[in-house]
Amino acid sequence: MATTTATEATPRRLRVSMASARLHEAGWGYAFALLPIAIFGLFFIYPIGYSIYISFYHWGILGKTSPGAGTFNYSQVLHDPVYHTALKNIAEYTLVVVPLEMALGLGLALAINQKIRGRNFFRSAFYFPSIASSVAIVTIILFIFSNDGLFNHLFGSTKDWYGDASTVLWGIVGMNAWTTSGTVMVFYLAALQAIPEDVYEAAALDNTGAWRTFRKITFPLLRPAHFFCLVVFSIGALKLFDQSYLIGGPSGGPDYATITPILYIYNQVFQFSAFGVGAAAGVVFFVLLFLLTVFERFTVGRQEAA
Amino acid sequence: MTLQTSVASAEPYVPGRARSEVTRKVLLYALYIVIAAIFLVPFIYTVTTSFKTLPDSNNVTFIAHPWTTSAWHDIWTQFDFPTYIKNSFFLAGVIVTCNLFLSALGGYAFARLRFPGREFLFLLVLGTLMVPDQLRLVPIFLMIVHWGLFGSFWGYIMINLVSAVNLFFMRQYFLTVPRDFEEAAKLDGAGYFKTFWRVMLPLALPAMAALAILQFQGTWNDFFWPLILFGQGDQSHYTIQLGLAHLHSTYGSNWPQIAAGSIIAILPVLVIFLAFQRFFVSGSFTAGVKG
Repeated sequence: MATTTATEATPRRLRVSMASARLHEAGWGYAFALLPIAIFGLFFIYPIGYSIYISFYHWGILGKTSPGAGTFNYSQVLHDPVYHTALKNIAEYTLVVVPLEMALGLGLALAINQKIRGRNFFRSAFYFPSIASSVAIVTIILFIFSNDGLFNHLFGSTKDWYGDASTVLWGIVGMNAWTTSGTVMVFYLAALQAIPEDVYEAAALDNTGAWRTFRKITFPLLRPAHFFCLVVFSIGALKLFDQSYLIGGPSGGPDYATITPILYIYNQVFQFSAFGVGAAAGVVFFVLLFLLTVFERFTVGRQEAA
Repeated sequence: MTLQTSVASAEPYVPGRARSEVTRKVLLYALYIVIAAIFLVPFIYTVTTSFKTLPDSNNVTFIAHPWTTSAWHDIWTQFDFPTYIKNSFFLAGVIVTCNLFLSALGGYAFARLRFPGREFLFLLVLGTLMVPDQLRLVPIFLMIVHWGLFGSFWGYIMINLVSAVNLFFMRQYFLTVPRDFEEAAKLDGAGYFKTFWRVMLPLALPAMAALAILQFQGTWNDFFWPLILFGQGDQSHYTIQLGLAHLHSTYGSNWPQIAAGSIIAILPVLVIFLAFQRFFVSGSFTAGVKG
């Protein structure tokens, strides 16, 4: 570093004052970073340890209710049929919604990446549902898909899409694909615009058709974006809570069709005051998220591993 | 969908091509308009419905007949929407201000001030990005209850005082600022805090504006933590999202009122979106990802 060489060449008195200047700088560094670090420590790092601790006790609102539960809470979670349903729901939901969001988002990005008039208008229109809150989206969609709502009117049906246990989860898939594809589009658009023009020019010289160009050139070149979107949006999908809570209520109705792992934790806390079980469910879920990320990293992300 | 219009038009002119090109363009625009309609019609329909009477809201029409503002009047007077809006603006204002200031302060320290353990502490901050909110649900709820802050805004404000994403972006931004500015400030006798406050912070305003917009959107739209920390009882603490959810669950089929409430829940973010579109769609700053 430049400062070290400067120190060697300078007389002792100056060196002492430089050392004190460095001490001074370090002092201010700690002073600046202190509050942010303290907040991270208290609300992000400490809760992890606290959560794991709680998960090994029977815990009520006032603290421990028995000397130790061992792995009781974990076996409670892992043997609870409701938790199994929650895992099944979230697996089905994620496996369908993430590819759907990515395909739609990529399609929208390709559409916007054309040289067309009104590009900015279309881009904003496609992105618009992404800015709305989950509550507003749910209320609007429930209105449009109600028994005698706009959707059923247009398509001549009378089905209660979000009130029926067999369709409600797919309804949430459709709703979130609709809102999130605009966000996916933004990521793909940034990646598409980073592809140099001459790649396409070379393809055009070879008389390569549009579909072939997409399949052989554009799609493979977007690989880092595929990986990024897959990781970010699958984690987002696994955390499904707002829509489930608002549509199916805290118990994940009808008939547990909308229960998710997060909603399960919520219920353990707010319906049964079973904090130990809730904490254990949180740890289990965190481990699952972590394993999934590692899995994605080593399958799709092989070449992107930096 | 065709990929390269530019390439196609670069080919030599062939008679008869012009007409097929026009047909293609028309079809393409028709497709774009249909897709845009899928994204926008539900919102337009909601706006129309908010001006309908209750019986009229069951008719699937895009024109309110008769036209009335009574749903808007009702949510303003029968329900406490003014309070919900006030609460949401209060929380968003406090959180955006504190979070941006502390994220900038921490980001500056990590970018420019040398102190032992800096790299380790920075890794620790980045590591918190991996902790899902849901693992924190139980411990944070218990902490807030024990501190007697359950049902008040303070617990929610505390957990949002700083965020790793914002701190990270501020650090990256400060790394790009040339050192000359700080050296000039030092020559003028400014101390570390004054250099940060009077020189570096004003230089970082563009980055802070972008983060402020996204943080506002995140806080305004947040449902999860407000529901857990103060959304279970006293309605005087409800945010706009909690209020709308409450209206929806209690008066489920009064569609004009619900439509009006939904519009209020979207409107402030929409206004900011229209004014600062480039921050939203630039991609690099899209930090909050919804399920």
